[in-house]
Amino acid sequence: MPHPGWTEFSFEGIGTRWEVSTPSPLSGAHRRRLLDAVEAYDAAWSRFRPDSLVAGAARTPGRYELPPEAAVLGPLYQSLYRLSGGAMTPLIGTSLERLGYGAGYRLRPEGPPLPAPRWEEVLDWQGTVLTTAEPVGIDIGAAGKGQLADLLSAVLNSCGIGEHLIDASGDLLNSGPGPGLDTGRAPVEVALEHPYDPGRAIGIIPLGAGALCASAANRRAWGDGLHHVLDGTTGAPVRTVVASWALAASAAVADALATALFFVDGARLRREFDFSWLTVYSDGHAEYSTDLEGALF
Amino acid sequence: MNTSFRKSVLVGIAGLSLAGTAAGCAPAQTPAAQGATPAPNATSAQGATPAAAAAYKDGTYSADGNYVSPNGTETVGVELTVAGGAVSDVKITPHPSNPNTKKFQGEFAGGIKSQIVGKKLDEISVSKVAGSSLTSGGFNAAVTKIKSQAQ
Repeated sequence: MPHPGWTEFSFEGIGTRWEVSTPSPLSGAHRRRLLDAVEAYDAAWSRFRPDSLVAGAARTPGRYELPPEAAVLGPLYQSLYRLSGGAMTPLIGTSLERLGYGAGYRLRPEGPPLPAPRWEEVLDWQGTVLTTAEPVGIDIGAAGKGQLADLLSAVLNSCGIGEHLIDASGDLLNSGPGPGLDTGRAPVEVALEHPYDPGRAIGIIPLGAGALCASAANRRAWGDGLHHVLDGTTGAPVRTVVASWALAASAAVADALATALFFVDGARLRREFDFSWLTVYSDGHAEYSTDLEGALF
Repeated sequence: MNTSFRKSVLVGIAGLSLAGTAAGCAPAQTPAAQGATPAPNATSAQGATPAAAAAYKDGTYSADGNYVSPNGTETVGVELTVAGGAVSDVKITPHPSNPNTKKFQGEFAGGIKSQIVGKKLDEISVSKVAGSSLTSGGFNAAVTKIKSQAQ
């Protein structure tokens, strides 16, 4: 519970657990609005259901009309694809499946790592329209959880519930007190999960208004060096970074940047994005932007 | 010893708004087609607990690890101490062969902590954890199955 007396609405969505905390219990209608938004997002973007839009694009090349949030995802991925030299890409779905992380959770590699196709050769993403030159495995997992948190926050705001905290299993979006609602609410103290031991924290960050998202190689890992953060240029899991955190105004951006930190130095990303960051490397040391608030231990 | 981050003002939430692009508060257009049940993309193995260190016997374990990074081959020594079913200590010995690692450390003086140790969650007072320990039930269940097959 982020604040004393708040209530929580929990549910499963897009393959993970969600907790929406609000000062007062959400009505049935409001809960339904949230679940509808989750279902709509899943129906468009899930790699794990055959009726989704991206599952269609994995079978048949062509022109796909995507939901409005695609207009945010496209440019975000495009920037990070460029900054990472192609390592971070929405075309990583087929590479993930090759290593066993596909529908059905086979979790056994089918062969050697498979590099992702080059964006400029197979994909044209203009706003909400996707045009593909061949069947492509689109996976927006690096930003999707964060973006859905943003969308749920927008739903709550439109319902007049300006104060809320959304916890998407460790990716957090805090509305803060909201404009004209300075209730003196303290920031939420957030522990940073230890990359090798979920029972420990490596630090604490006070979260005011904004998003704090994490990416880690310790979870969604299925043994023998296999985990879900793949380098698109090789199709193999990233080894040098084991965990990262990013703070930004929107959860989509924070979520995407947390993954980008696996490929690109935080200081480089900061030249193009307004965010704070912390990266833990596999040799046990950490680097962070000097504007981070909190403690590291 | 703690490393304190410098004070700052976090960016406001007004920077990037998605309001209006998804469902508003008005009823959805096709409510009949959208059940209240969670998205069915994970198999129904909810409640699978994340893998815990409790499966390991007490003792001290060490190993060297080699891996190929974009900067070339790196080697680290890792020593884990397990007590009472939990990891009580982690010692990681970087082998400073990678010139880029040293370069980064030079460039980010003040923004670097040489060794992350951590604290037990019950030693600190927080209301939320930022990480990824609670991933999908289906995924965790599949991993558990593979582990049992590996035994």
